[in-house]
Amino acid sequence: MASTTTENHSNIGTDDINEETQQQIPEKDSIVEKGGEKDMAPLPGGSIHRSSSRPQLDVSGAAIQGNFEEKDPTILLPNQSDDISHLALDIGGSLIKLIYFSRHADWQVDDRRKRKVKERLGVSNGNRRSFPILGGRLHFVKFETSKINECLDFIHSKQLHCGGIDSPRWPSDASQSENAVIKATGGGAYKFADLFKERLGVSIEKEDEMNCLVAGANFLLKAIRHEAFTHMEGHKEFVQIDQIDLFPYLLVNIGSGVSMIKVDGDGKFQRVSGTNVGGGTYWGLGRLLTKCHSFDELLELSQRGDNRTIDMLVGDIYGGMDYSKIGLSASTIASSFGKTISENKELEDYKPEDISLSLLRMISYNIGQIAYLNALRFGLKRIFFGGFFIRGHAYTMDTISFAVQFWSKGEAQAMFLRHEGFLGALGAFMSYEKHGLDDLMVHQLVERFPMGAPYIGGNVHGPPLGDLNEKISWMEKFVRKGTEITAPVPMAPPATTGLGGFEVPSSKGVLRPDASKLNVGVLHLVPSLEVFPLLADPKTYWFTVLSEHLSDLVDKAVASEGGTDDAKRRGDAFARAFSAHLARLMEEPAAYGKLGLANLLELREECLREFHFFDAYRTIKQRENEASLAVLPDLLMELDSLTEDMRLLTLIEGVLAANIFDWGSRACVDLYHKGTIIEIYRMSRKKMQRPWRASERKNNIREVDDFDAFKERMLGSGDRKPQPHKRALLFVDNSGADIVLGMLPLARELLRRGTEVVLVANSLPALNDVTAMELPDIVAEAAKHCDILRGAAEAGGLLVDAMSNIQDGHKKDTPSVPLMVVENGCGSPCIDFRQVSSELAAAAKDADLVILEGMGRSLHTNYNAKFKCDALKLAMVKNQRLAAKLVEGNIYDCVCRYEPAS
Amino acid sequence: MEGKRIDGKLDSSSDDAISHLSIDIGGSLIKIVYFSTNSKCITNDEAPAISKERQEVPNGDLNHHILSGRLYFVKFETSKIEDCIKFLSFKKLQQCGAQCHHSHAVDKIKIKATGGGAFKFADLFRDKLGITLDKVEEMESLVAGANFLLKAVNNEAYTYIGGQKEYVQIDQNDLYPYLLVNIGSGVSMIKVDGDGKFQRVSGTSVGGGTFLGLGKLLTKCQSFDELLELSHQGNNRVVDMLVGDIYGGLDYSKIGLTSTAIASSFGKAISENKELEDYKPEDIARSLLRMISNNIGQIAYLNALRFGLKRIFLGGFFIRDHAYTMDTISVAVDFWSKGEAKAMFLRHEGFLGALGAFMNYKDGNAELVPPQLLEQQSPKSSSCIVDRIHNSTRVQENENGAIDCRLRVSSSFKIYDEVKRC
Repeated sequence: MASTTTENHSNIGTDDINEETQQQIPEKDSIVEKGGEKDMAPLPGGSIHRSSSRPQLDVSGAAIQGNFEEKDPTILLPNQSDDISHLALDIGGSLIKLIYFSRHADWQVDDRRKRKVKERLGVSNGNRRSFPILGGRLHFVKFETSKINECLDFIHSKQLHCGGIDSPRWPSDASQSENAVIKATGGGAYKFADLFKERLGVSIEKEDEMNCLVAGANFLLKAIRHEAFTHMEGHKEFVQIDQIDLFPYLLVNIGSGVSMIKVDGDGKFQRVSGTNVGGGTYWGLGRLLTKCHSFDELLELSQRGDNRTIDMLVGDIYGGMDYSKIGLSASTIASSFGKTISENKELEDYKPEDISLSLLRMISYNIGQIAYLNALRFGLKRIFFGGFFIRGHAYTMDTISFAVQFWSKGEAQAMFLRHEGFLGALGAFMSYEKHGLDDLMVHQLVERFPMGAPYIGGNVHGPPLGDLNEKISWMEKFVRKGTEITAPVPMAPPATTGLGGFEVPSSKGVLRPDASKLNVGVLHLVPSLEVFPLLADPKTYWFTVLSEHLSDLVDKAVASEGGTDDAKRRGDAFARAFSAHLARLMEEPAAYGKLGLANLLELREECLREFHFFDAYRTIKQRENEASLAVLPDLLMELDSLTEDMRLLTLIEGVLAANIFDWGSRACVDLYHKGTIIEIYRMSRKKMQRPWRASERKNNIREVDDFDAFKERMLGSGDRKPQPHKRALLFVDNSGADIVLGMLPLARELLRRGTEVVLVANSLPALNDVTAMELPDIVAEAAKHCDILRGAAEAGGLLVDAMSNIQDGHKKDTPSVPLMVVENGCGSPCIDFRQVSSELAAAAKDADLVILEGMGRSLHTNYNAKFKCDALKLAMVKNQRLAAKLVEGNIYDCVCRYEPAS
Repeated sequence: MEGKRIDGKLDSSSDDAISHLSIDIGGSLIKIVYFSTNSKCITNDEAPAISKERQEVPNGDLNHHILSGRLYFVKFETSKIEDCIKFLSFKKLQQCGAQCHHSHAVDKIKIKATGGGAFKFADLFRDKLGITLDKVEEMESLVAGANFLLKAVNNEAYTYIGGQKEYVQIDQNDLYPYLLVNIGSGVSMIKVDGDGKFQRVSGTSVGGGTFLGLGKLLTKCQSFDELLELSHQGNNRVVDMLVGDIYGGLDYSKIGLTSTAIASSFGKAISENKELEDYKPEDIARSLLRMISNNIGQIAYLNALRFGLKRIFLGGFFIRDHAYTMDTISVAVDFWSKGEAKAMFLRHEGFLGALGAFMNYKDGNAELVPPQLLEQQSPKSSSCIVDRIHNSTRVQENENGAIDCRLRVSSSFKIYDEVKRC
């Protein structure tokens, strides 16, 4: 394959060459694998139009961002390794669904470090996913087909057809667009092909509509947890999809018309039926009858309607009686619109609300019935309904469910997809790289919390399709709506995002099979499949906690952006948005899927980011880091003067004491007003009193003293000296004293004992948690005062950039074990080990000790998780309620839980 | 229009001697079937013998005799039930005006009735006419009526494909099972396995009531027939979104959809800046009719498929012998079944329930005797006992599908005899 490089130059665009060369530098991978990666080998059944001028898309680690039901929901592709843009369209009879990819703003900052880490971890093995992570997001936009020019303008304004506006242009960009190809599906891909050529100079590559629908649905069902749900009588319940048992199913896509597809597997399907009575009928008839101007308006109307004035019910015919012999109750509709027959009333005499409802019911019920009959025909128990007709509308779903339930006598079930509208577009988007789809790392896929969510579904609907600007930024609109300020908010490109994901394990069902693929090595954990008990409490508790904390958070966030007017406005909008989320969740806890506390915290972070607060605690973190680093040398000296036994205890105490610095805890925030960091730390240290709480749990008999067990593992007893751990993963928590005075000294101790240390930190800011980006600087600073840290940091590649500054001749003779930093793929105070960065997964391979620090990672999540290696969970409980529930103790109690490898 | 026809009926049959009558009161229409030994029928072609038989010879059974005569079919709109009452009272007066002035006899008069209105209007009938409605279950009636027609009446069922009506010879031994689809205001689908053996397997609320209801709202038409008439001149392409509209004139052949297939009924009313007034009522009526017919055809086929039924008979007043309706339903069944299943229509489509209720008079009082059966019993009269539905045109125009037939009645019982006795 290497010999074909020259050929590459001749027949593929420079895009590819860039990518190839970039890729080849760090990799010494096998040729075969590369051949497989590349897009040039003719694929069996592949389209001949396949664009070779476009680099591939790495959809591994994709994450849904935003709201499919509204506009601009986005999917994160953290592992997309090149700054390409892709655009895919689904042009239906009524709506155009558009998906485009935008890369993140430059994330290459510490590429060299990462590369070093990767080499060290041995992950540069040709696996594309291990390549410098740039990431980006998928945006979802919809337009009315009749306003296709809006869509073309949109594409043009964002330069989506030639690379995207917020990505560096390709050298040959201009000429590129000449040959550019856009994947599109739906009838419009045929109808408007010429228009696209003419207006944008791009060719439309047509993808089969059914193919795309199925690909999109399969992708969603496999990749997104809590994607499918049932909806009966207003009650929504998520369905755990067992991937092994997913097929066959009936996919009912309700667009303008309705297609019913029997799906037997990936790419294996058959369109078995359909009906021309679909969304277009509802909207079309609805428009004629009610003068509504949009689908959403019509839907909105239906909510206030009463169909009994329009429909002829069984009771109307039977004089109020049921026709029980054939199972029809008096309220069953005998004839839709049957009542408008007999009376001498005109159209104007009927309420549009009633008409809309009757129409909606007629069509939904009819679709449900035909779908059931088809499911029955093929013995399919599961029916998934998608398409833009549904729009998360409760009555629509209830009606369809009722029809399926009624006719099947409860045998078959109607299920809905949260991301119903974009099946086809998603399928088209994924057709860019068909072969990559198979090994899509679906487990890394994460849904982001949509900003529009509080305003759709339920009682409040999103605003109807509006002007172009509304589509360009939902956020912008929200700011306007929320604060009623008309001045435009500066539109920075969406520069940050979360990676990986977080969900508390769901309460029932089987762990997805793909989860184990990721959790190589020690991270083969057994997540507790219980929703964390805290959320089972009166659910308002945590909502209240978060609400109370909100104003302080807004202050911090605004300050972090310099306290400008713009920042204040965004802060205000953030507060409104987040409050709206909380309010919605209080009302409908299942609104965003099964939320746990971890999700709630994650939601808050996402929400901040959505309003361009990228690091609300930036200044606080810096200040605390500096203050802590200033006293670090003294602490290290103190530690070094202790015996081994005492030192270990002091270190653990130190970690626990330092864990008091947590801006996520109300109680701690109050503490900050009483003294300096160091004072608090000292005070906290002084209060340390063993035994810690973990050893006192009553209803769960464990080792009496977890610290002693840990100490025994570390130091042995008597003459027996245990083998040191090979590699330890330290999941760090807060900035400041927590990392500097707590975890770093512990890391140092491990390094001293010959254990490799990997500091695992957040990819994105969350409160005052330290991030993987910040760690190298902190380590470098600490290393100035400590040879052990310096040697290890150098070995781990952490000082690559900083080295020149600290070349003061202290070169050691013996190579040190490395100290590395790895990002966990998260941007939340919690962590779900089933969804972490590939880097972390690789690092975990050889680890035999995991240390989880802090409430979020060791208590809120993973408290009951079992690891295959030794695990130590350290946290100070900074919440009275949690302390009482979890350890039957009090606020500021500490947890030190050690579990040897199982 | 109904009125006109009925008025005509009143005139032409004023001297009918109604002996038995049954009624089917649906959500939109009231259907009445009555038996009359009207002498007029004798004047028809081949039946001089009938008149003689009219006073019937006891037929082996001492208590029964056979009446020859004609079954008449009349309908009213349910909303104009007063007309119906008037009609009945007029008929009744014809019958017993001379003999019976005793109003207290009222509750003794019973007529068989079916449909939801049999419950709803029971009081009205008692108060206004002194008639007790003897309720017959609706599905049972439909099935009985259909079975009777399919067995007893030649050329009752026909297919309608590409504008061609073709009568279907029903082999009585191979009649069951079949799917009976009765399209009234709503639609019932019944799997029929034999006489009295059936199950309502499905139905849909999108039926004739929907057509007229929506049609009235959209076109200001006042009657079903007017609406049908309109649809005749319409072009649904103006209103419906076709596959070709989405695919730029192309077929979506991969899944077997031609460019003219309707992708979304009324789907074109979405995107254009047109109001209701900008559409021609004809086009709307056409689109509506296609939507509903097609939908019924599809659901009927799916249900037939489910039970392995090859034959689908469609009845009910929605069809009205309307070519386009039948064509659409036939095409839908043909399309979805890939030619496996056939949609068949019944000439007496609208009166299944009423006829079935009529059949219910059998408990010792009266029984409609299928001509074939009669044939066996009295071979000598075979030539004249054949069912004589008149040629379709004549039936439609002149006699509304009256059927000549014979009635075996208990010699001690006649509806109006009862009145006489009091």
